[in-house]
Amino acid sequence: MTDEMNPNPPVEAGLEVFQDTVEEFLAAADVRVVYGEPIQHDDTIIIPTAEVLCAMGFGIGSGSGTNADENPDKPSQGSGSGGGGGGRILSRPVAVVVASPEGVRIEPVVDITKIALAGLTAFGFMVGMMFRMSSRRHALPEIVE
Amino acid sequence: MDIIETEIKTGDSRQIGNLELTPLTQVLKIHMPGRRAGLIWNRPKAVVVRTSDGREQILPIPDVTRIAIWAMLAGGLLGAFMMGLMFRHK
Repeated sequence: MTDEMNPNPPVEAGLEVFQDTVEEFLAAADVRVVYGEPIQHDDTIIIPTAEVLCAMGFGIGSGSGTNADENPDKPSQGSGSGGGGGGRILSRPVAVVVASPEGVRIEPVVDITKIALAGLTAFGFMVGMMFRMSSRRHALPEIVE
Repeated sequence: MDIIETEIKTGDSRQIGNLELTPLTQVLKIHMPGRRAGLIWNRPKAVVVRTSDGREQILPIPDVTRIAIWAMLAGGLLGAFMMGLMFRHK
């Protein structure tokens, strides 16, 4: 029986967790994630829709070791490493599909807060540029004739 | 596997009265080199409505919030560019 480095059980468990995480990440590309369960009210059915953004990253390491049988002068040595990762899922309502006996229509969902924040950002950028241009203009040396 | 993939997916059709609704989504997948990172952007694209007499209508799903945000950011950049030109000419 050789004195080999036995497989580290936590590595196999980590790979299993990683595989489950990747499967859940890829499930974000399914249609059922975007279109929710329909809600029925009398003759009208409402289907909510949302935009889903999912990002994930990971890294893994490896280990190595030496055998005392290969080099009796040196004792057995081993080293190991690990890995990690992270991810994020963002979801935002986009519209509502309303199906009634009169027909089907799309009602968009407007996020006033996001629009206001974008407007403030754009306005702030323009004001900042204006101040910058104005200060640069005043910093120019005057030419005395 | 390409780094950037786009795909239009079709969901399960649903019968509502004499109408059949089929949802469509647009998926953008970005795979980083080495396949150690990725991004999936999944959004509703349209709904296909089929009537009992065979007529088909595609209803697009507009994202009003995103359109407004991009329009304002583009307007801000354009305004800053115009101001830069005005100050340069002065």
